[in-house]
Amino acid sequence: MVPTNTKNFDTLVVGGGIAGLQTALDLGDQGYSVAVVEKDASIGGKMIRLSKVFPTLDCASCITTPKMSAVAHHENITLFTYCTLNSLDHDNSGEDSGNKFPGINAPGVKATGLKALITQNPRYVDPIKCIGCRQCEYVCPVHVPDMEQGGLSATKVICIPFSNAIPQLPMMDIENCMLCGQCEKACPTNAIDYFQKPERFIITAKTAVITTGFDLLPVRDNVQYGNAKIPNVIDSLQMERLLAPHGPYNRVLRPSDGMEPDSIAYVQCAGSRDKSTGVSYCSRVCCMYAIKQAMLLSGSLPLADIIIYYMDIRAFGKGYEQFYQNAKAMGIEFIKAKVARIDEGENGQAQVRYELQDGSGIATADHDLVILSMGMIPAWNPGAICPVSKDSDKFITSIKPKISPVLTDMEGVFVAGAAAGPKDIVDTITESGCAAMEAAKFMSKRLVEN
Amino acid sequence: MKTINTDKDRDRDKEAKKAAMKELRGVRKNLIAAASATMKLQRKELAAIKAFLKAEAATIPQIAAAIDMPTDKTLWYMATLKKYGQIIEAQKEGAFFKYALNEADNPPKKAEA
Ligand SMILES: Cc1cc2nc3c(=O)[nH]c(=O)nc-3n(C[C@H](O)[C@H](O)[C@H](O)COP(=O)(O)OP(=O)(O)OC[C@H]3O[C@@H](n4cnc5c(N)ncnc54)[C@H](O)[C@@H]3O)c2cc1C
Repeated sequence: MVPTNTKNFDTLVVGGGIAGLQTALDLGDQGYSVAVVEKDASIGGKMIRLSKVFPTLDCASCITTPKMSAVAHHENITLFTYCTLNSLDHDNSGEDSGNKFPGINAPGVKATGLKALITQNPRYVDPIKCIGCRQCEYVCPVHVPDMEQGGLSATKVICIPFSNAIPQLPMMDIENCMLCGQCEKACPTNAIDYFQKPERFIITAKTAVITTGFDLLPVRDNVQYGNAKIPNVIDSLQMERLLAPHGPYNRVLRPSDGMEPDSIAYVQCAGSRDKSTGVSYCSRVCCMYAIKQAMLLSGSLPLADIIIYYMDIRAFGKGYEQFYQNAKAMGIEFIKAKVARIDEGENGQAQVRYELQDGSGIATADHDLVILSMGMIPAWNPGAICPVSKDSDKFITSIKPKISPVLTDMEGVFVAGAAAGPKDIVDTITESGCAAMEAAKFMSKRLVEN
Repeated sequence: MKTINTDKDRDRDKEAKKAAMKELRGVRKNLIAAASATMKLQRKELAAIKAFLKAEAATIPQIAAAIDMPTDKTLWYMATLKKYGQIIEAQKEGAFFKYALNEADNPPKKAEA
């Protein structure tokens, strides 16, 4: 069925991570109307899930939440969370999309307007009635792994994804719901709606900015590091949760038994710079976040041995080399070695087998907790959804990587942040401002031409 | 928006909702059965943890050994009970923390007169 519900904006931002939020704010502040379409139930992307951020060691939540809130309350920005982008392309349908460029939708005229088909996925909660009191969550009797906490603790079948999620709306996981009706009974505003259906709508816009970010390579695909089956071998985003004040245990403990770890190791380039995993490139931020996490660990567990197994340290940004030197001065041990495999050791330990890069041979070491700095891969594959090109690394192609890295091969479509390749927050913010500027330039140029 | 005017209307709406819920339960029969089984097991396991903690605070390995549950699963439950305010972290014993029932959340039953 073709949806009839059409909403018109100047810019469509796909992805509500820090790149999408910054782009939306930079455009919204200039008076452009912006739609942010986010696939998750909350905006904030990876940054809201981090503990602290290098190189300043600011609390991630403290600097991301105000941006999330600014976007949510901005008069020129509309948020569409928990939505699926089904298609995004130039619109040459000839329909009146209500935009200010006369003629762009007329048949035969080169299309410059964009049209996106979106599905609002059901939360099974009425967003107008819900007051975010979480009574539904408290009474729900079924526990499921809380993926917002790396699966290390549980949440309920109906829950608000995390404490500072925006919007503060719960969603129901119907795969695990037993329809007991307790949430409905507890809801003071009758907001539970077991019959909610997906709703499709169209967004038309003059420009779009793709800010779909990255995911980590799944540990379960990595045979030599145990396919996620070895206890106490976790990925770096799980470690961010262990370090976060609102993490699963509110402190750093070993997931297998709650022991405070005494020996912690980081395995760098786990999956990155490795053709066999399909990630032959460097993921760029792993050296810095491993150093950051190691520093935070040495603060919370001052007696623990912390080791980083690395191939090269890439401290590429302003103040990053100093950050690395500070970590060494704090007693964090850096071993230049390639970890060949990890096996289950004794008493919950993980045994790391590594080859020293100075040629002195192979060694093994046992650690209470091992963190894999997995490679970064694109979170979104445009595939049949959008005709924008991908590079050989599968991130969105930037057609002018030197002079304007935010330009894609689709007119009026720009890219920012980790959607174009692995990068840190500083570069993501800079690129987002650049994408907003290019989009504004594109729109004002068109207005003058017409 | 629909306004409910009479008791009759209200009764009719109630009946319609009941029928729709029945139908939905039919459609989701298998999922509901699996979720109910999970819930029953979780309720039993959580009750076992809380019953053990009634006597004294304990570490994860101590709780796990007492109720015959793997330590990782015990920690998973404990993290969850802590999140929902039902237990609190107590003193440290060696490399492990002890956990105790949160008295504020689980008030002791009044002694029988
Ligand atoms: C463990 C770890 C620690 C890090 N620590 C630091 C640090 O301390 N300092 C630092 O500078 N950098 C750090 N980084 C890097 C930082 O996370 C990134 O620079 C930043 O998150 C990039 O932001 P983004 O918005 O481009 O992508 P993301 O944060 O990935 O956000 C993308 C958003 O787009 C959404 N999305 C994806 N696909 C779709 C779709 N099809 N439709 C709609 N929405 C979609 C996602 O759900 C997400 O909300 C760290 C990275 C990792 C892995």
